[in-house]
Amino acid sequence: MTILVSRLVQALVVALLVGAATFAMMRSLPGDAAWRIAAGRYGYDNVNAAAAEAVRAELGLDGPWLGAFLQWMGDLFRLDFGVSLVSGQPVIAEIGHQLGASLWLALAAVGLSLVIGPPLGILAGLRPGSLFDRTLLVVSTALKAVPQFLMALILILVLSVQLGWLPAAGYGQPRHFILPAFALALGLAAVNARIARDAMAGVVAMPFYDFAQWKGLSRAQVLWRHGLRNVSVPLLTYLGLQFVLLVEGVVVIESIVGWPGIGHALVHAVFARDVPMVQGTALMLGLGFVMVNALIDLLAARIDPRGAR
Amino acid sequence: MTLLSATDITVRDGAARLVAPVSLELHPGEPLVILGETGSGKSLLAQAIMGTLPASLRATGTVRIGGCTLLAEDRAAFRGLWGRQIAVLPQEPWLSLDPLMRAGPQVAEAHRLVAGLPAAAARNRAAEELAALGLDTAAARYPHELSGGMAQRVAIAAARAGGASLVIADEPTKGLDAARRDDVAALLLAALTRSGGLLVITHDLALARRIGGRLMVLRDGAVVETGATSAVLSAPQAAYTRDLIAADPESWSRRVAPSEAGQAVLEARNLTLSRGGQRLVDGLTLELRAGRILGITGPSGCGKSSLGDALLGLLTPERGHITRARGLAPTAFQKLWQDPVAAFPRTRRLGQTLRDVARLHAAPPERIGGLLERLRLDSALLSRRPAAVSGGELQRLALLRAMLANPRFIFADEPTSRLDPITQREVIGLLADLARTDGLAIALVSHDPVLIDRVCDETCSLPMKRGEHDTLECSDLLRTAIG
Repeated sequence: MTILVSRLVQALVVALLVGAATFAMMRSLPGDAAWRIAAGRYGYDNVNAAAAEAVRAELGLDGPWLGAFLQWMGDLFRLDFGVSLVSGQPVIAEIGHQLGASLWLALAAVGLSLVIGPPLGILAGLRPGSLFDRTLLVVSTALKAVPQFLMALILILVLSVQLGWLPAAGYGQPRHFILPAFALALGLAAVNARIARDAMAGVVAMPFYDFAQWKGLSRAQVLWRHGLRNVSVPLLTYLGLQFVLLVEGVVVIESIVGWPGIGHALVHAVFARDVPMVQGTALMLGLGFVMVNALIDLLAARIDPRGAR
Repeated sequence: MTLLSATDITVRDGAARLVAPVSLELHPGEPLVILGETGSGKSLLAQAIMGTLPASLRATGTVRIGGCTLLAEDRAAFRGLWGRQIAVLPQEPWLSLDPLMRAGPQVAEAHRLVAGLPAAAARNRAAEELAALGLDTAAARYPHELSGGMAQRVAIAAARAGGASLVIADEPTKGLDAARRDDVAALLLAALTRSGGLLVITHDLALARRIGGRLMVLRDGAVVETGATSAVLSAPQAAYTRDLIAADPESWSRRVAPSEAGQAVLEARNLTLSRGGQRLVDGLTLELRAGRILGITGPSGCGKSSLGDALLGLLTPERGHITRARGLAPTAFQKLWQDPVAAFPRTRRLGQTLRDVARLHAAPPERIGGLLERLRLDSALLSRRPAAVSGGELQRLALLRAMLANPRFIFADEPTSRLDPITQREVIGLLADLARTDGLAIALVSHDPVLIDRVCDETCSLPMKRGEHDTLECSDLLRTAIG
């Protein structure tokens, strides 16, 4: 219960910070914001004073800032994110559309990283210091060190350009998922594997792990019944934190492979100074982070009852 | 008929021989106790017999058990014995239970996966056994919700659930108070059926006496003496066994209290302490005087350490007053910790640590040398790190560190519970000397009432608090329950 309350407070704080930051951005856009926005909307060649004035009146760019701020935050808490400055469509509709695409990509990437990383990490953690453990350390460190945009480019060059196995970009078919999901998953799996490895090595060194074997259980039984359960808690907690890394990756990868997701939209909104869109996407990502972590807290408390009292 | 016979067991670490060829036999219904100090090789010997030695050590010799003969170096072969022939009891039962699994399933899984019962039958058997151990409600609890005594009983049930009739217990009473120690002894004896076996490895003479049977005294990896436990303990033949018995508090002579009482260092009136919402000490009044030793006893968890924290000024009492004598420096009250290894920074050399402390208290560095001599410590120790020094030496170094602060009062919180009897006697003796020569007031906490009786001028015994009874209630119940 306390978990949910604290996460709710966190969600409120996120909303306040995002609202305030985007409001400040809106106010401090260099030059005449009305002209900029009008240019974004109609193209640089089509802007004139009348169009700028129309934008100014529409967005209330002239009023006193306190009133504007209160109105801004009021809109935010009514979940009225306004209208995209560029497309003129309601922000909420645009985000709803893009969020789905991103969500699927993110899920595919996390799923893939969980298939790759933790099993290898657990295997290494069972025999700390073995050749396999040391090899995994080198490989995972190297993979983690490759920036995600580079990873995506390498995969495109190898899998699409050289081998011609996969499309370099695109959206809509299952095979379009493979390349961006892999590009994201390799970086995530590199760290997953380390976390799982350290957790497993720690569990193996615990007296209860020995004792379970002395009771007569086989190695596999001990791993299955006592090892995995104890490894899952730190791994799960880390997964929540990894969400940040994931968002960062999604923003980059979506732009590279032309994925019509929320990250792609965020980048475009930033370039076009489409502040309502920036606010909407940033808020969604921030609240998503809080929600994922709240779910993970609940799950971890179910598995590990010690902290929950 | 022998249950287990081990022949010429040797343990080596590279070229160094840690256990010389040792042979032993275990007979049905007759316990065998292996007695020795830390570093005597007693645990290594037991681990070689169980096949649980750390991978860096090599064992040789043969072990015959249940009709098959195993080579000690073939560690994998021992796996099949665990749970089925040998029940291995862990040293620290609390840490030996999976923290994320309820107690019941931890017992039931051995019934099901090792003894081969169907799931429902395994659950019932586990519940019956736990109930027989006086743990009706424990099956549904997690280990962190169990007391140490309850965890120990759960561990025993889990270790034997696979059907093993030979119990091997390595230091089963490490860090336990006297009442709990007797409880464990009763538990082990109850587990010993007429056809079963029991091997106990310990440094605790009182435990050895309670277990009875046969005794093997080990020193530096070699057998010093063997015989019936009662005979060896009452009439030891070897000089080392005599030293070991002489170091037992039972055989110490009582300290003579200084004739005139020194000045009062601290006074506590109507002290009431609580921690975590639990009342620990209620309306206690005591006085500490220079040169006197106050003994504090009581069962685990009764608030001994909290009382110390309050006397040292680290815990604010709920009610009552603590008055320090006028003109004492804030650092005039010092503490000696239970686990000396944890009380020193691990990666620094001891000399560095001590010089830092001397500088902090503006003591000339030569004082370290003087104190080293008084505490009978070798100055070569100063260039080592804590892990490379024996527990007894480290505890004396901790005492040295406390002395650098020019204390008037030292709160010694179970300072010898992790030390061997011979070392314990030495450390306690030094503490008593310091009280006399330097006029220190000392509060000595111990779970050993005999030790307190021999050394202390006054005793304050803290009562057991409610809710702790479960650790003591059923010594008698146990005898009838298992078996």
